[in-house]
Amino acid sequence: MLKRNTKYLQIAFNRSLGEIAKMINLLPLSDRIIIEAGYPLIKNYGTDAISSIRDFWYQKFFGPQEKNLSTKSFKLEMLGIPDLKDLLVKGDYFKNIFQGKISPQKSAVIDPYIVADLKCMDRAFTEVEAAKGAGAQAATCLGLAPLETIDAFIEKCEEIKIDSFLDMLNVEYPFEVLSKLKNLPKVVMLHRGVDEREDNKDKEIPYHQIERIKGTYDDILIAVAGGETVREAITGSFNDADIVIVWKLVNENPENIVEITKEFLGETK
Amino acid sequence: MILKRNRKYLQIALNSTLNEAIEIVRKLPFSERVLIEVGTPLIRIYGKRAISEIRALVPSYIVADTKCVDLASRDIKMAAASGAQAATCLGVAPVETINRFIKDCHKAGIDSMVDMMNVKDPVSALKSLEKAPDVVIIHRGVDETEFSKDKQIPFYQINEIKNNFDVLLSVAGGDTIDEVQRSILNSADIVVVWKDFYQSTDETKDLAKEFLKEIR
Repeated sequence: MLKRNTKYLQIAFNRSLGEIAKMINLLPLSDRIIIEAGYPLIKNYGTDAISSIRDFWYQKFFGPQEKNLSTKSFKLEMLGIPDLKDLLVKGDYFKNIFQGKISPQKSAVIDPYIVADLKCMDRAFTEVEAAKGAGAQAATCLGLAPLETIDAFIEKCEEIKIDSFLDMLNVEYPFEVLSKLKNLPKVVMLHRGVDEREDNKDKEIPYHQIERIKGTYDDILIAVAGGETVREAITGSFNDADIVIVWKLVNENPENIVEITKEFLGETK
Repeated sequence: MILKRNRKYLQIALNSTLNEAIEIVRKLPFSERVLIEVGTPLIRIYGKRAISEIRALVPSYIVADTKCVDLASRDIKMAAASGAQAATCLGVAPVETINRFIKDCHKAGIDSMVDMMNVKDPVSALKSLEKAPDVVIIHRGVDETEFSKDKQIPFYQINEIKNNFDVLLSVAGGDTIDEVQRSILNSADIVVVWKDFYQSTDETKDLAKEFLKEIR
């Protein structure tokens, strides 16, 4: 689960699954990377998009063949977590996670944190459950949805133990929406849509909302979406956002994913 | 526009599993007045194959309930390529997205449907667009219906919209025969039902016929 006082980079994947496999393979291992199964990706592939991303990550980590223990051990030592080796060699990795033998920090590197960008608007239960079943740790709901839907979404996420992201795309007063909810979401996304950005250059990311929301609600993490350059992504994180979401940057230049990720992780803490 | 004016349609929304949806589609009577909606949960869970698998079964008019809120061009491309005749966009989406949605639907030769769920003043929302969509959906959400029993379908909006725009009007969110009748009495062109068609039963075919009888 996400921690406070940590800067995360959320990478939204929207290309074909084949291209995504290559990009994931290039990504550095870090518990500060959040992987987003993008909204068009889910509409194309359904929840298979989530389970595929999870498989790509495991293959990256464990190699294509699970039995290849020497590769696993090598990678674990590189990460400075050799004690994991015994647990893995002895067998049931997942059982060890459930029994708390692997710390959350270590398991975060091995287990990708995947956000399913469902953008729920109504009747969220089925989709949220399906996303969790496919391996998502979080799902998104629209701040534009009826309050009944947002309340039901947050409650459902709490019940099945995944993080709730509330996407404030096109919401004029995010603060007002939050004040009407029964329970707060884990993350609030301040968002400028792709179509908006392309057709209306004047619309800005509402950075000024970050302080106001964080000043009132201690536990909410803020994600800022829509940055087009590494610089803009870093500015977002210095504006006190906890999560910076990049989309265009990586999907238009998949070959630069390593550089972009390393630059962000290096410049933010 | 593919749909015809001065005709009343029954839209059956499929929201359960893909297998269940296929079973239901197989039982439905074929009629040009029956529209099949591939519901949002089906698209989110199975992706575009939910549309193409149903397309392969029947020649019916298919509505892909994409509930587009951003990246309109990609949604339309996906829906049209999978065999849908219409896609949906949210009325609460940024105006840039809705404009792009309507324009791209027209280019792709499919009908544009704008869903007014949670839009307080649909007439003003429509006035802010460059061009009106083919269909406007008046919608009370499932969660709203379940958790706020007093929320009514805003039937009064039908004539308000029809007096101002040359669009077809679709009503979603009412599932009883009584609500279907009220929609038609209030000049709706399309009535969307889903609850009775969540699972395939022996009565599926007769139910569809019964609803069709009410919608003339």
